[in-house]
This record gives sequence, C-alpha cells and structure tokens, in this order.
Amino acid sequence: MAEPNIEGNGGGATPARGEPNHIRRAIILWVVLSIIGIVLVIVTTPVVLPPSASGLGNADNFTMAMLTVLSVPVALFVFVFLGYSVFAFKTNGRPTEDAVPDKPRPGLQIGFMGVTSALCLFLVIWGLFAFYQETSASSPRPVVIHATAQQWMWTFSYDNGATSTGAQVIELPVNQPVVFEVTSKDVLHGFAIRALGIRVDANPGEVTTTPQVTPTQTGTYLVQCVELCGLLHSYMWEAVKVVSPQEFNTWVISQGGHP
Amino acid sequence: MSEATQVRRSSLISNLFPSVVSGIILGVIGAVVCGLVVGALVQDNQDAAVVAAYTGWTIFFFIGIGAFNGVWKWGFARRDPTHAEELQLAGQNQGLWRYFRFTTDHKVVGMQYLATVLFLFFIGSMGAFMIRLEQSVPGAIFFDPSTYNTIVGMHGIIMIVSAIIMISGPFGNFILPIMIGARDMAFPRLNALSYWLLFSGLPIFLSTLFLGGFPTGWTGYAPLSVQELTPGMDAYCFLIIIFALSTMVAAMNILTTVLVLRTKGMTWGRLPIFVWGVVLSVLLGLTAFPSFMVSQIMVLMDRVFQTSFFLAASGGSNWLYEHLFWFMGHPEVYVIALPSMAAAAEMAAVFSRKALFGRRMMLSGLIGIAIISFLVWGHHLYTSGANTPLDAPYMLDTELISIPTGFFFLGIIGTIWRGKLWMTPSLLFVCGMLVNFVIGGITGIYLADLPTDEILHGGMFVTAHFHFTLVGSMVFGFFGAFYYWFPKMVGKRLNPMLAKLHFWLFEIGFLGTFLSLFYAGLLGEPRWSANVAPSYAVPNLIASLFAILIAASVFTAVYNVIITLRSGEAAEANEWGGKTLEWTVPTPVPLENFEHLPVVTSTPYDYGTPSLSEDTEGALSPLPSPSQPQAQAEG
Repeated sequence: MAEPNIEGNGGGATPARGEPNHIRRAIILWVVLSIIGIVLVIVTTPVVLPPSASGLGNADNFTMAMLTVLSVPVALFVFVFLGYSVFAFKTNGRPTEDAVPDKPRPGLQIGFMGVTSALCLFLVIWGLFAFYQETSASSPRPVVIHATAQQWMWTFSYDNGATSTGAQVIELPVNQPVVFEVTSKDVLHGFAIRALGIRVDANPGEVTTTPQVTPTQTGTYLVQCVELCGLLHSYMWEAVKVVSPQEFNTWVISQGGHP
Repeated sequence: MSEATQVRRSSLISNLFPSVVSGIILGVIGAVVCGLVVGALVQDNQDAAVVAAYTGWTIFFFIGIGAFNGVWKWGFARRDPTHAEELQLAGQNQGLWRYFRFTTDHKVVGMQYLATVLFLFFIGSMGAFMIRLEQSVPGAIFFDPSTYNTIVGMHGIIMIVSAIIMISGPFGNFILPIMIGARDMAFPRLNALSYWLLFSGLPIFLSTLFLGGFPTGWTGYAPLSVQELTPGMDAYCFLIIIFALSTMVAAMNILTTVLVLRTKGMTWGRLPIFVWGVVLSVLLGLTAFPSFMVSQIMVLMDRVFQTSFFLAASGGSNWLYEHLFWFMGHPEVYVIALPSMAAAAEMAAVFSRKALFGRRMMLSGLIGIAIISFLVWGHHLYTSGANTPLDAPYMLDTELISIPTGFFFLGIIGTIWRGKLWMTPSLLFVCGMLVNFVIGGITGIYLADLPTDEILHGGMFVTAHFHFTLVGSMVFGFFGAFYYWFPKMVGKRLNPMLAKLHFWLFEIGFLGTFLSLFYAGLLGEPRWSANVAPSYAVPNLIASLFAILIAASVFTAVYNVIITLRSGEAAEANEWGGKTLEWTVPTPVPLENFEHLPVVTSTPYDYGTPSLSEDTEGALSPLPSPSQPQAQAEG
C-alpha cells in the first residue's frame, strides 16, 4: 500500500525549514513495522491456531494466516499515522492558534480507493476460490453420518446401522471421506467440529449437509452445538474420536452396526 | 421570546398530574385490569394475559402521562396551540419537573435520553460483568444455565437498545436542532412520544425477570422463542415492538427536522458532518426497524394465537425469522456506527484545530456505508445450510463496505495529521475508537470470508468481533461525544483527569478482554456458553481478569458524573472552541435556543483560513478571529 503523500494543499501548507519531514518518517516507520509484523505473524500462526485434523481445516487455517498477513500493514497504517500524530503534533493544553488546513489531493483519494478496492476484490476472489475448492471435493463412497439434534443432545446414526445417542463418543475412520447430514427435532441447533473445519446449522424440518471432509489425524475432538438452543445449550457437546479403520470397525459392531 | 405564560403550577397535586408518576399509577392499574380480564376470558393461555397486561400498561401509561391531553383542545383541526401553550408544553417555568413530564422541548428530551442511555449502559455492563464472572472458570459455578441465558439475553438487548439510541437520542435531540439553527424539532410532541415510548418499554422488559426470563439471547431466534417455556419471552417481543415504534417516530422526526428546519444559509454543503451521520443513521433505521417489529409480531402471534410462521412441523420456517431479523440486524450495526463515526469526525476537527480532511470524501464514505449495508444481511446465514447462490454477492457486499469505511479512516487521520492536537478526553476516545475499529473491522473480514467463517461462525470470535466494533468503536465514540457535549448540555465541566483515567482503564481492559476472547474463538469456543469447556479456560480467565479494569472504568465514569453534578465548575458557553452553532448559544441553552435565528455563511470547519469553504456560493463574509463561530446573528 504505497500511499501518496498526505501533504498540504498548495503553498500555504509547506512545512517551515528545519522542520522534520513527518510524512517520510511515518512511512518509514510503517514499512519497518509492517515487515516485522508480517514476519511475526508467519512465525506465530502455527503456534496460535489450533492444530487441524483434516485437509479442510488446514485450508481454513491457511486462509486465516493469509488474511492476517494482509491485515498487518492495513492495521499498522492506522496505528502508525495515528500514534505518530499524537506524539508529534500534540499541544500543551488548549491550542492558541489554528493548524494549517489541507485537503486530500485527488491522486491520494483515487489511490486510496484503488488500493482498498484491489485488496477487497482479492479477498473476495480468494475466498470464493478457497470455498469452492473446499466444498467441491467429492469421493464416490463417503461415510454418511446422520446427525440429529434435539434439546440438548446429539444422536448419530451411520448408514451401516451403528447408532450413538446422547453424551457418548462417536468414532470416525481416519483418511476416509465423511459427510454429515444434519437435522433437528425441535429448535435450531448448530453442528460444528472445529478441528475438522466443518459447521452447519441443524434446522428443524430440513436436512443440511456439511462439505465432504477427510480426517487426517487420529485423536479426540469436540462436536459442539453453536446456536443457542435453550437451557443446556452449553452442555451440548461430545467427543469425536478419529481412529484407525480396524478400531472403527470394532466400534461400529459394538454400536449395533455391520462393518 | 414571548412573555411568560399565565399558567403556573405550584401545588404538589398539580405537579404530579400529569407526570410520569400519574402515568405509572394509571399504567399499573391498566395492566392489572387488562391482564385479569383477558386471563379470565382466555383460560390456559398465559401469554395472552401477559401481552394484554403489557398493552394495557402502554396505553394507560400514555393516558396518565398526558400524551393525549392536547387532542381535544388542538386535535381534529379545531385550532393550533398558541405560542404560550407551546411554551407551556415545552416545560417553561416547570423546574426539574419538566424532565418527568410529556415535555416537548428537544433539550429536555435529549437530557432524558442521555440519563436513560447512561442508566442502561450501567445496567448492561453489570450484566456483562456477571457473564465474565460465570465464564472465568469452567462449569456452571455462579449461575444456573437458565439464569445465565437470561443474563446474556438481557445484557445483549439492553446494550443494543442503548447503543442504537446513544448518539441519536441524547445528541441528536439536544444538539442537532441547535446545530442546524432550529428552535425545536419539527414535531415536538412526537419527540416526547418517542422518548416515553422507550421509557414505557423498559418496565415491560424488566418484567421478564419475574416471568422466568427468556432463553434465546438478544437475537430471539425462532422456533426457540416460540416454545412454550416461560412467558418471559413475551417481554422481549413486546419491548422490541415498542422500541421499534419509538425509533421510527424519532427517525421520522429527526429526518423532517433536518429537511425543513435548517436556518438561512445552512445548505447541505455546510451541514456539519455530525448532522449527516445522524440523518443517514435514522434513514437506515427507518427502513430496517419495521422488519424487526414485524418479526416480533409474528413471534407473538405464534405464541399467543398458535399461528405457525416459524414452526417447521406446521409449514413454517426458522429461516424466515433469520432473514427478517438480520434484515434489521445488520443495517442496525450501521445505525449505531454512522452517528458515532460522524461525531468522531466532528471532534477530530475541533480538537485538531483543522478543517476536516476531505469533507466530501468522508461524506461519500458515510453514504456508501449506508447504501451497501442494506445488502449484506445474508452473511449471517452463511452456515444456516440454505447455501443460496447469493452467498457470493453477500460476501462481495460485505467486503465492499471496507472501502467507504477506509475513507472515514483516511479522513480522520488526515484531519489530525499536522493538526494542533489538544489531547482532551474526547480526542483520546476518538483515538481509541480508531485503534479498536481497525481491529474490529479487520476481524470482520475473517467472518465475511466464506472459508474462514465456516469455522468461526457462531463462536466467541464473533462475540469479540462485534464487541470491538460496537463497544470499542462506537461506544468509545459515544463517550468522546459525551465528554464533548456534556459541558453544553449540563453546563458543568467534567473532571478531565478522571475522564482520562476512565479512558485508559476502559481501553486497556477492553483490549485485554476481547483480544483473549478472539483467541478463545480461534480455538473454537461457541458463544452463549454458561458452561465453559475446560479447553477454553485460560483465555476466558484472562478475559475475566481484564474485565475488572472495565468495571473500574465504569465506576470512574459514574463517580465523575456524580461529583460534577454535585460540585462541578461551570463550563464556558464555547468550552472547546468549536465552530458549529451549538457553541454560539449561551449555556444553559435558553428555551427557544436562539434569540434571533442565525445566518450561516461558511462551513463549520474553517480553521486556519477564514474563508476556506468547499462551496463558494454567495458572498463569504470573512470572520474577524479564528475562534469566531460560523454564524453571525441576524441584525
């Protein structure tokens, strides 16, 4: 974001001789801090963001990091110019004289609009592209799991006959694509597994599907209700275990299904 | 100003009738009678009795406060009220009683709004601290989930209501008519009506505490709100209906005032940016709030008359509610934002002693926000499962808003750049607003982008985001405006040291609290959790600890207001050296504002050069000194 000068309008605003070139100082400060900030973001993002257990989650995390990198210079533009002004231009008590007025040059306005529009369009295109990639993945035989929400528990039933009701653990096979078909018996609920990067509302009278997701890491994760659904909304979570296919088959049989 | 009216009120009885006291007495009687009658007629329908009681309260409250007193005298085109009668209605010679009556003076209404906003902010912040207390440790320790849900819902709706009125109510009523050179609002009695409608809604809403609370949070999502759990939900719906009426009446009034009552020379090009902000905000409100009102009427019908707008089993749809709600819900954010941003621009110019940097650019930014914000509500339904092809346009619109918002930032930063910065509490709050608004705005991009929203929607990240925009940005703007206009409205000077302490406690506490909630949201914590899962315990504890600083800032501000009201020093008529018209009138502002209506000859931002004006129509009269306000009294 190379900003054109925010300078005085015409001769009246020319800084007096000997006065430091504020605009150059602020821009240098902004560029230096932006570089430091971007490096910091790239280094710390893997630590800050929770580990993801699917390709979908990885892609989401990457988009998140990319957005953060882009936003560092934008935020610092405001922070630096604001902070610089407060330190450099503040008066002691009530000002006795007025400041020299200035107006933005057309170039500055057009440039500013151009830069923000370009950023904006880039984000939109990136977002649509990433979203398309995430949701268009399809394999011919995903594991289909029907998730039914009710106040205040989840019921899961698999196409192979296994079921799990209320405050229990469900298991998913690692490296096999999964699709959740979500609905609700009573009010609006929200179905979300943060680690897998999927989330969709459970609407009464409608069946909604999550994007196809392939868990890549074994481990125990949370499935949570993310729409306020009444009294025990915040207790409406249970564990999702991503396990090896052998373990998964054992579990399916124990839940009354057939592998 | 004309001679004093002949009517004088002296005895206690004539002071009480009509006043808010007689309104409450009559209202309570009306509520009890209506509730009992309908309760007896319709057995087994608690909701019908409750709604009847609310209706009775509202109607009889307005009879008791004297809202209909003029109808027989002046209604049906019999005759217009005389000037003396108008002054009587405006509270002339009624002392402090005028604040407790159906008083039409815009300054009285402004003060009523200000007191109400501060009271609501205080109550709402207490709710916030209860939420932070509960979330400081995993498990439901301090409140049971039902109480917790009610606290969250009440905190939400109280804060949203007070944020919607926080600028347009107090300053839009008190300052705006003076700013445009008017003696009062266009419809003074509607002005009183809008305030007392709001007032009458508050007891209704608080009655939810005695009716079992409500489980839905501030969004009131159906079909949860239609479930027959407690009649407490009716209080929420009824408040929204009353509040929407109040806002629409006020919006129409402000709009008409600015359209027709501008003084000579106050062209649209010279109109202070604050007035533009309020006008755009009420325009948005006027078009958005009916949909909110309709949604709550439908919920009440579902509850009382067993219709099924939102029940899937009988052919309704919860998506219908979500659309109606968010069609109001997203423009409403900008109803809150626009006047606050405009007030910040006003203060930035005054406290930098510098003309607004690109006034037209900033105006086009505000107008652009107002237009685009109508087309973005669908991003609240990204994960609803509806998956419409409109998701992409919604995403485009949402991110387009950052372009006009960028104009606002550029304008404010350009204004204070190389200004003579007077670091008053107001300017501090403006700076804090910019810092928080950048963070709030950028995190909005994460939520507008489909792939990242997929994991953040409905989580703590959203909570932190809208607290950054609504509290960190707009409420900061409100407090800036509060410190800016308080000396004019009350005539006393708030303690600047305490005000700065208020700012620093608030800003540090705010950043600490909500930055850690962003982190909780990244980890995946859902909103509305009475029972924090153990994996999110650490960021929640940090947030709760920082909230102590916010609590300290609240009490600092309360203390400051109390000691100032008791023993503050008198403020000057032009406390800050502002150039808008409200600084040309004496403090306290006389009943009809101006002895002679002023004639405006330039923009209110001509700092530095006497004749710097973007529009050069007509002859500009050069002003003798830079601190001379923009107006000259008519000869």
